[in-house]
Amino acid sequence: MAEPIIKIREVCKTYGTGKARTPVLRGVSFEVAEGELVALVGQSGSGKSTLLNIIGGLDRADSGSVEVLGCDYARTPERRLASLRNSDIGFVFQSFNLLDHLSCLDNVTLPAAFSAGVSHSQSAARGLETLRRVGMSDLAHRRPSELSGGQKQRVAIARALFCRPRLLLCDEPTGNLDSKTGHSVIEFFRALNRDDGVTLVIVTHERRVSNVAERIIAMRDGVLVEGEDGSLDGDAGGLDEAALAGAPVPEDSDARAADAGGAT
Amino acid sequence: MMPAGKLARMVVRNALRSPRHFALSGFGIVVGIAAFVFFLGLSIGVKEVILGDLFPLERVEVVAPRASFLGRDMRQRIDDAVVEKILGRPEVSSAVPRMSMGFPAAGQAQFEGHALGFEVGGFADGISPEFVADEEFAELFQDWEDPALRGDPTRCDPSTEAATGVCGDPARYYCDQRDRTCHHRVPVLVGPTLIELYNGQFARSHGLPVIGQFEQFLATRGGIGKLRFRIGLGDTMVAGSNVKIPRGKQRWVDGMLVGISPKAIPIGMTVPIGYMKRWNREFLGEEAASAYSSVVVSLSDKDQAAPFAAWLERELGLKLADSMGERFATAIFIITSLFVLISFVIVIISAINIAHNFFMQVSERRRELGLIRALGATRVDVRLLVLGEAAIIGVIGGLLGIALALGAAWAVDAASAAWLPAFPFKPESYFAFPFWIPASGLAFSIVFCVLGGFLPARAAAAMAPARALAER
Repeated sequence: MAEPIIKIREVCKTYGTGKARTPVLRGVSFEVAEGELVALVGQSGSGKSTLLNIIGGLDRADSGSVEVLGCDYARTPERRLASLRNSDIGFVFQSFNLLDHLSCLDNVTLPAAFSAGVSHSQSAARGLETLRRVGMSDLAHRRPSELSGGQKQRVAIARALFCRPRLLLCDEPTGNLDSKTGHSVIEFFRALNRDDGVTLVIVTHERRVSNVAERIIAMRDGVLVEGEDGSLDGDAGGLDEAALAGAPVPEDSDARAADAGGAT
Repeated sequence: MMPAGKLARMVVRNALRSPRHFALSGFGIVVGIAAFVFFLGLSIGVKEVILGDLFPLERVEVVAPRASFLGRDMRQRIDDAVVEKILGRPEVSSAVPRMSMGFPAAGQAQFEGHALGFEVGGFADGISPEFVADEEFAELFQDWEDPALRGDPTRCDPSTEAATGVCGDPARYYCDQRDRTCHHRVPVLVGPTLIELYNGQFARSHGLPVIGQFEQFLATRGGIGKLRFRIGLGDTMVAGSNVKIPRGKQRWVDGMLVGISPKAIPIGMTVPIGYMKRWNREFLGEEAASAYSSVVVSLSDKDQAAPFAAWLERELGLKLADSMGERFATAIFIITSLFVLISFVIVIISAINIAHNFFMQVSERRRELGLIRALGATRVDVRLLVLGEAAIIGVIGGLLGIALALGAAWAVDAASAAWLPAFPFKPESYFAFPFWIPASGLAFSIVFCVLGGFLPARAAAAMAPARALAER
């Protein structure tokens, strides 16, 4: 098994206070090896997006330890964490989060604004190159409002890839796309993982997404319900149908998970 | 942290992307800074006119405190020795004595076709020509009876002078009836206060023309020689005057108005001090010819007035006359402070408005702020972005405010030039804008905008990116 680049230990997270106090994560532990493509599945409110945010450093765990790309978040200063998000972690969101007042190219090169290492001209060239990679270079100077949902998601993916991250965190990346567009996005992720070795953690409800994952980490009520070998734990609440909206565990996922190493 | 250049580029792009928000936030700042710069410029300009030209603060007048015993004037005497002592003070750069006319005198003049009679005694004094050496009329304001200037007297016949013209230009010279020699007319100055009294009350009530720019007034009436009059030394228009000069001792001299000066007696006429010394000696004796009514003292620094006044009282028993300049300075200070306070209130309200607008904007842009945090912005970056936008409003609002103030000042000056009648010392501009006024206007604008953006910036920086991104 490759070196784990995500190490999560007994992570707990609670929102609200008093009567409104809601535990979202309750002692979650797992590891993701470099180069893995992991699907994080579960019902709404199961804590998977919170977990993804904690992995990405967008949220803090109340307790437990989080180590990503060699950084122990509890001991990492905010500036280093921001730098990590800027250069090593890419985010893809369900709602794209493109800025409408910027062109596609400017959206893609936005991470360069927070990095001292990339000049304006370099960032434009790299931005175009990244857009070309997702097949959007022709629309580089359009505004996001002029694009279809699939095109927007491609631009958002290009932005996530702009700094050539080692880890890509995707939160329902196909949630707002039609099946054909969603399929092409999934295929892109698969190629990215296969060809570039980028580690992907994809939060999803969709079977077609989890189908391509090497390993599925399933969550329910803030805890993992995944077997040691990466297969779903059937006793953990019938996640195969309930959590994945009827999606069976992909035929080849067990084998892939076994190759990549299991979650703990 | 973001590199400065990239931060600046993003700040400008963000600031300019919402003109409505920009205008809403900046409007109050523009008005406030415009008011600040306008009123400060006005007060400095007015102060320069009033205190610089009319009542300079660094110029004080030394007088003897009033004192009398059994109806007799017991005031401290001011003579050349006192003037010398004053001149010996290190803070004094010049000391010019004034000498009042101590005997009755009456004037007669033809003015705009009217025969005017007026009292001169008690309303006249003498000053050294050196005191007004930098004025335009300095060449005429001389002691023409000084033998060095007059030379050998030219004999003349008053009854035939008009025909023979022995004395020369009748605008400047006349033939004296008593000694039958040619004399230069006595040069006379009047103060702007007198002209204001004339313009404001006398001219209106007697249907006479207003005197605006003096040179222009003279030019339209045929030059300096047209404003001449006779002074009856020893004569009086006051029927009950206790000072009786024997009729045989009375005599007439001719005078001519040569200029208007704030250095002249406020109400009355001022002549070269040589004339006044001779006249006082002639009618009152040597004692009156060597006693001055006051000494005009120029200080090297207006802040020296207080220690100088203390020295005067302690060493010489003299005091400083009540200064109109100081009263005006106080009035101007109060008015200026009021206007500046008002403009500050406007700017503070604007800062609160900016805070409100920025809170709204931060709320509207929660997802965007969350996104840039996800893309690598630190809390400091977010704070600087918001503060930078506020600062840009400050810079642009401040510059627009300054431009508005300068434009308004120009409009006021233009309106004054076009529509206000000319009056003595009417300034070309009522405003003065030394560099520090617009500079401080701009600085205040930026500071208050940044203060307005401070709390919203803090709120934006404190925003949890995951929650911000989860907003719908």
